[in-house]
Amino acid sequence: MTSTTVPSMPAPVPLPAGRPQLSLAENLLTLLRTTTTEPRPDEQLEALTLAVAADLPVLLWGEPGIGKTAALTQLATSLDLPLTTVIASVHEPTDFSGLPIVGEDPAANGVPMAPPQWAVELARAGRGLLFLDELSTATPAVQAALLRVVLERKVGALQLPPGVRIVAAANPRASAADGWELSPPLANRFVHLYWVHDRDVVVRGLGGVWPRAELPRLDPAGLPDAVAFARRAVCGFLNARPTLIHRLPTTETRRGGAWPSPRSWEAAMTLLAFGTAASVSRDVLATLVRGAVGDGPGLELLAHIDRMELPDPDSLLADPASAELPERGDLRQATLEAVVAAVGARPERERWEAGWAVLVRAWETGAPDLLVAPAKALAALRRDGWEVPETVERLAAVVGLARRAEDSVARTAAAAGAKSAAGGRR
Amino acid sequence: MDKLLAARLYAVAVRPYLAGALFALHVVEDRSVPTMAVDAYWRCYVSPSFVSRTPLEELAGVWVHEVSHLLRDHHERGAQYAREHGEQGPGQRLRQNVAADFEINDDIYGDGLPKPAGAVLPAMLGLPDGLLMEEYLRRFSMAGRTPRLAWLDCGSGADGHARPWELGPEGAHGLSRQQRDAVRFRVAEAITGRPGDAPEGWRRWADEAFHPPQPWRQLLGAALRAAVGAPGPGEDHSYRRPSRRSAGVPGVVLPSLRRMPPRVCVVIDTSGSVSDAELGGALLEVAAISRAVGGRRDLVSVISCDAAAGVAVPLCRAENLELIGGGGTDLRSGFARALRSRPRPDVIVALTDGQTPWPSEQPSCRTVVGLFPRPARTVNEEDPDYVPGAPPAWARVVPIG
Repeated sequence: MTSTTVPSMPAPVPLPAGRPQLSLAENLLTLLRTTTTEPRPDEQLEALTLAVAADLPVLLWGEPGIGKTAALTQLATSLDLPLTTVIASVHEPTDFSGLPIVGEDPAANGVPMAPPQWAVELARAGRGLLFLDELSTATPAVQAALLRVVLERKVGALQLPPGVRIVAAANPRASAADGWELSPPLANRFVHLYWVHDRDVVVRGLGGVWPRAELPRLDPAGLPDAVAFARRAVCGFLNARPTLIHRLPTTETRRGGAWPSPRSWEAAMTLLAFGTAASVSRDVLATLVRGAVGDGPGLELLAHIDRMELPDPDSLLADPASAELPERGDLRQATLEAVVAAVGARPERERWEAGWAVLVRAWETGAPDLLVAPAKALAALRRDGWEVPETVERLAAVVGLARRAEDSVARTAAAAGAKSAAGGRR
Repeated sequence: MDKLLAARLYAVAVRPYLAGALFALHVVEDRSVPTMAVDAYWRCYVSPSFVSRTPLEELAGVWVHEVSHLLRDHHERGAQYAREHGEQGPGQRLRQNVAADFEINDDIYGDGLPKPAGAVLPAMLGLPDGLLMEEYLRRFSMAGRTPRLAWLDCGSGADGHARPWELGPEGAHGLSRQQRDAVRFRVAEAITGRPGDAPEGWRRWADEAFHPPQPWRQLLGAALRAAVGAPGPGEDHSYRRPSRRSAGVPGVVLPSLRRMPPRVCVVIDTSGSVSDAELGGALLEVAAISRAVGGRRDLVSVISCDAAAGVAVPLCRAENLELIGGGGTDLRSGFARALRSRPRPDVIVALTDGQTPWPSEQPSCRTVVGLFPRPARTVNEEDPDYVPGAPPAWARVVPIG
């Protein structure tokens, strides 16, 4: 403790009579708590809102004091839901599985499992946001009891109404010195979101202006398409990668996080449909999908969706002159390779010529080095009697480019070989 | 421009696994850029005069170098380092760029890709190869070295500080975070899919890009906590005695919270292949963790074990614990002795390098294995066919160090 000289204070203002000091303190607190909000895009809040709207249990991971509770309060206000906070770590298993009450003649009537008051009130209200805080510091028995609350929304014999949404919060184990590990079955039921603070938001918020995220709105006309898209994406992907359907986390690093299982794939599909219907950004969608099935499988699914959205090779071949090719180089090359593969699958002279026309179109609209590999592959598909179309001469520059690179590679290799041979002799 | 693109083809030819990333870069021609630079949104800014005066094969090296900054997420890591260490300013920017270049340059060249003139190497500052950007940052200062390196500028993609010529997040042809992750992910897949083609440095990157390794202390702690926290030992609810809350709610049966301090037995592999420093560090850690989960010091015992197991020594008497042994290893005797000791331990923690036979059956208590890393080789002179088995599936394995 450092001691400093106290600056001479101005004489205290005499209090008005009959006005105790405490009520002045009240006024000061009211002033401090008066804050306004401003619209501000916030990806984490958007992801959280979407997952809550989709009625999937969300688990917020974040250091203590980072503003998870504040975010929840804001979410409850904007969704107009009453917020019920239950600190999981100070409860006992029976608070979630129901308290056994011994009545008259238990053998005949059974022992009812009575729900605690918060659950009864939540059920009576019919809707609400149930916030299970400090999940990672709850004992294993409490976690086991919570499985049922989170998945079946049952507290003892009481069924929580469908209007209740569940959000939980946990501290990452780096900061939870005395925490328990989240068990994989419980972890698999949640969409995991990692909560971090944004410096600008905190500074501006303490200055009196907190962000107000625009909540994603579902487009009523787009619902059937969104569902069709989500189904196509997830089913197509799992058809191609069946090993990812169920994979228990094996390493210590991945325990207690998101991992792929039929249950979490269903969650990912729901999130895809909601994200599409609300047309949220790809970043938000990525956060949600990775939070449901884990980083690796989530990224693979997103890559699969990227490829799904490439132009259809056959329609490009049908009308090469007005073909719209992706701007991004790697996607453009993937599209061209798909076109060549489509020609190779059904090699006919018209299709082969149309393939060249697509390449010429690509050469006119983008970087030429992308064309080298597809052009080589297309040339290899040539059959006897097929004439190279005249337009292909315009691709001569591409051939020159490729040759230049090849020559240089060969030259360097030869130089390196000579050098090492010389080194060997020495 | 043609030369630049031919150089990209060159780079793709010698590093096929980077093709996706190289083609994803959007080229922006800009005369104010010193050489070639990238921003965090995967745009590549190129000075035309630099291209015309650089040989094609060196340009290919620069392509790979710049894309490596992006693949290794240097802008994000650089910004995080600056936040954590409170370092700002142009000198710091340069230092981060140099450290990032060290991380890249020590392993991407060679094998058909010549090193461009002026590439900085850790050896220039007397530093070892193979470290990460953050480790290099901790190890050198720029004092007195600036003149030679000041021209170096790989853009905000290398260090997270914006440059005047950059288009910023709103500009055209930028990649969003999800798209960047997707590109990096596909490159990592390409590398792990064909492990033979890529050098060690890239393989390590691919392994860790999306699963960063966690500090072993936390992992060991988590494993130990989970083991002692499992039903049985440790703190959990129990109906053995009614809860004190029961008095307030007549007619209701409540469980009570009971704390049963876990007994932890540490079996230490003292064979010649494990160094004293490794053992000391790991042992201290186990003791600290078991205290944190509520164990008392006298509940932690230690068995040193090479081919035969020593006696179990309680840790409270083991201030000057002598680890006996030094020959070959057979951890089975250590496990057997641990299970024979009375009272029986709740958790066995085995600290070993894994060059040992393992018990054929699951022991009757939970097991955590702390594994010291060893190179894959290890040939036994007497028995060339001997292959040490991996730790069994019933143990929770934590790599240490």
